[in-house]
Amino acid sequence: MLAAVRSATLLGVEGRPVTVEVHVSTGLPGFQIVGLPDEACRESRDRVRAAVMSSGLPWPSCRMTVNLAPSNQRKGGSGLDLAIAVGLLIANGEVPPDSVADLGFIGELGLDGSLRAVAGVAPMVGALSDLTPVVARASFREARAVSPGSVRVAAFLREIIDALTGVSPWPDEPDDDFVDDEPPIPDLSDVRGQALARTALEVAAAGGHHLLLVGPPGAGKTMLAQRLTGLLPPLTPALALEATMVHSAAGVRLPSVGMIRRAPFRAPHHSSSMVSLVGGGTSNLRPGEISLAHGGVLFLDELGEFSPMVLDGLRQPLEEGVIRVARARASATLPARFLLVAATNPCPCGGGPPGACDCDDGARLRYLRRLSGPLLDRFDLRVGVARPGVDDLLQSGGGESTAAAAARVSTARSAAVELRGMLNSEIPASHLDILAPLQPAARSMLRNELERERLTGRGYHRIRRVSRTIADLDGDMSAVVAEQHVALALQLRVRLRVSVREQVA
Amino acid sequence: MKTDLPPEAYAAALASFPHMSIHRLGALLRHHQPHEAYAIAAGEHPPAGLIGRVLADPDVCAAWRRAGRSSLLDDVWDRCTRLGLQVLLHGAADYPQLLLDDPLPPPVVFAEGDLSLLDGRRAGIVGTRNATAAGRDTATTLGRQLADADVHVVSGLARGIDGCAHRGALQTCGAGRPIAVVASGHDVVYPREHRVLWAAVAECGLLLSECAPGTAPEAYRFPMRNRVIAALSEVVIVVESRQQGGSLITVNEAIERNVPLMAVPGGVHNRAATGTNQLIRDGAGVVVDVTDVLIALAMDHRRSSGALNDPRPRPSGADLAIYETCAGEPRTIDGLALACSLSLVDAAMAVARLEHSGWIQQSDGWFEAVGSPLR
Repeated sequence: MLAAVRSATLLGVEGRPVTVEVHVSTGLPGFQIVGLPDEACRESRDRVRAAVMSSGLPWPSCRMTVNLAPSNQRKGGSGLDLAIAVGLLIANGEVPPDSVADLGFIGELGLDGSLRAVAGVAPMVGALSDLTPVVARASFREARAVSPGSVRVAAFLREIIDALTGVSPWPDEPDDDFVDDEPPIPDLSDVRGQALARTALEVAAAGGHHLLLVGPPGAGKTMLAQRLTGLLPPLTPALALEATMVHSAAGVRLPSVGMIRRAPFRAPHHSSSMVSLVGGGTSNLRPGEISLAHGGVLFLDELGEFSPMVLDGLRQPLEEGVIRVARARASATLPARFLLVAATNPCPCGGGPPGACDCDDGARLRYLRRLSGPLLDRFDLRVGVARPGVDDLLQSGGGESTAAAAARVSTARSAAVELRGMLNSEIPASHLDILAPLQPAARSMLRNELERERLTGRGYHRIRRVSRTIADLDGDMSAVVAEQHVALALQLRVRLRVSVREQVA
Repeated sequence: MKTDLPPEAYAAALASFPHMSIHRLGALLRHHQPHEAYAIAAGEHPPAGLIGRVLADPDVCAAWRRAGRSSLLDDVWDRCTRLGLQVLLHGAADYPQLLLDDPLPPPVVFAEGDLSLLDGRRAGIVGTRNATAAGRDTATTLGRQLADADVHVVSGLARGIDGCAHRGALQTCGAGRPIAVVASGHDVVYPREHRVLWAAVAECGLLLSECAPGTAPEAYRFPMRNRVIAALSEVVIVVESRQQGGSLITVNEAIERNVPLMAVPGGVHNRAATGTNQLIRDGAGVVVDVTDVLIALAMDHRRSSGALNDPRPRPSGADLAIYETCAGEPRTIDGLALACSLSLVDAAMAVARLEHSGWIQQSDGWFEAVGSPLR
């Protein structure tokens, strides 16, 4: 007898519909899965057999063939277990075939017949939009977030079979107790002093400017970076859905509401490999850290310690907002629009005030050369962070809270998008004179910096975009960029001392 | 053995032998004509005295014989002539008088440029390679003002203070010129970023080395180089130095040669000035501006006080407060805003103005006061 059950598999962050066809016939007893299953998928033979028997159902001694259609696509993961088991039971006549007509099954089976969650339920359910998804109880919130209609859940295979055969009704959906279980974002009011770095965070959030924090160990670079997500506005519905898909596909725990609504913060260690950072892998192309940071902040601490090849891999996604991962068998486009925040020491010894550093210029240059080049050029903001002074630490009240700064950021951000159709960091150089015109005094200040070779041509455009954002935050959304905005922007682009300066004879 | 080569060629070749120290070269050339000395080192003549003991070491003996058999003699002389170097032998007529009676005179000096500069007034400026912006500025200004006062600036062409002092001396059309003593061959520029400066010193001043062309800047050569700097200076000025800096070797050599020592004081929290402050505590002369050096050299200093007509516009109001805070100690923009009770924007505007007019300088986010102080 023949049966067909609908399910889905994952490639990158996209679900692909799969039809599980089961054929049972007389012949030598056996159980075969065809249609390019990967290792985890092929192993489902043993899981399905044990689960069916543990559920108190007979295992037929016939020849059984499972085909995963379309059979030219590679299928990975264990999410097809449930569909295979249901298909087998239909082919054996245990379950009526028409009972599964508008259902899609996604889930992994345990040997005891229990149903387990798998990674990527959200995109897979998204791919089966015309069907009612049947998923493990633990996957309910993920499925709920993307499925417009109802979602069927169960904890055991037996419960599903009973519902399909009409013996008992479908198990109840879990309560929608939307408690916000996300840990609170650390608040900016914990930061003592650091007025410049605070401004830098605000500017970075308002204009989407990538930020490099330069300072000795213990200056609070990590502390500052962690507080940046609090300044970013909540994700737009479209962005939230994309972020949720990515987190689901990567198997990263979603908040209890099921959707990612807050800008994510990812801080991979500097030993991270290329694949873990940009995504990939052999079969299902798992999203990497840059995709998990989609819509939020990617924080790279100790930037110089990352392998240069890994950092080079960031350049294309930084430019395009997506990463295209291609392998011999498949390719996928993963979203990767993130705000890059990196931290580094100014030199091997950590630096500090002038005279404190014991490194010779050669060592300094070698250290900075690790980061220099095209990647360093991507940072609009380059801010020196000094260790807070004793007075700062003893100060009783902290600085301004995140909420106050976030309000300004939100106004500036929405104004930028409304007036210019983009964030300020995305303004093309050719449009700067129209979208960010300079007052004469501001222009002469920049001319001066250029003439003294304290600013490069590329730096000039970056300063102009940053000044635009500073002016926006100041409340002059459409006005001309003034001198004080440029002066502050110049402070947000620290000059690094390297011996190159000595070349000027 | 060839006879068409001058004695200097044999001395130059000996200087580039492996395992050849100043002491060994001195011993060889003190008692023998250069070509005899060369033959002894190469194993063609029996050695005597100190050299006999040196050649008893089988490593040295073998290396010297190998060098003697190679084409080193022709190669080194070739390079010397191609570079236009003067090779000065201790005791020869053109050997600098200043070095003749030194406790450890260089047996051979390779020179490029104007040797008559050694007859003029000379001040050595030394200091750390890892200098602060303020220290670099001080060295450049001192170099320039000394050159303006017809004093030649002796230094080592190293990174940091040395290079800045030379650069300062080249910035003016005064009669003072840079005199550099380097620790590698004339054709081995070290540090490499000083290519342009190196060539300019050789062109407009005097470039000296004890090392034959082609010699690499090995670490042990630098302390020896420092002794030559001390020997050529009438006064040695230390601009910035840490507690245990290489410039303190020059200081010790200067003390041994009775060369007066002077130092530029630094802030008590500035680690790059701990060495100089210690020198002052130990009795070195204090250099605040060029006048102090000219007085130490017993020169006319009536025209030197350039600070009286400082061309920079005088800061006032918030700018003055910011400048004075920087002048006390390097500060970040946060520190400046806090100390002067200004908003971040006002502080940013003030430092932009001050940087524009040249009162302060920023590096790594720290602001330092530069140039002659505000009076």
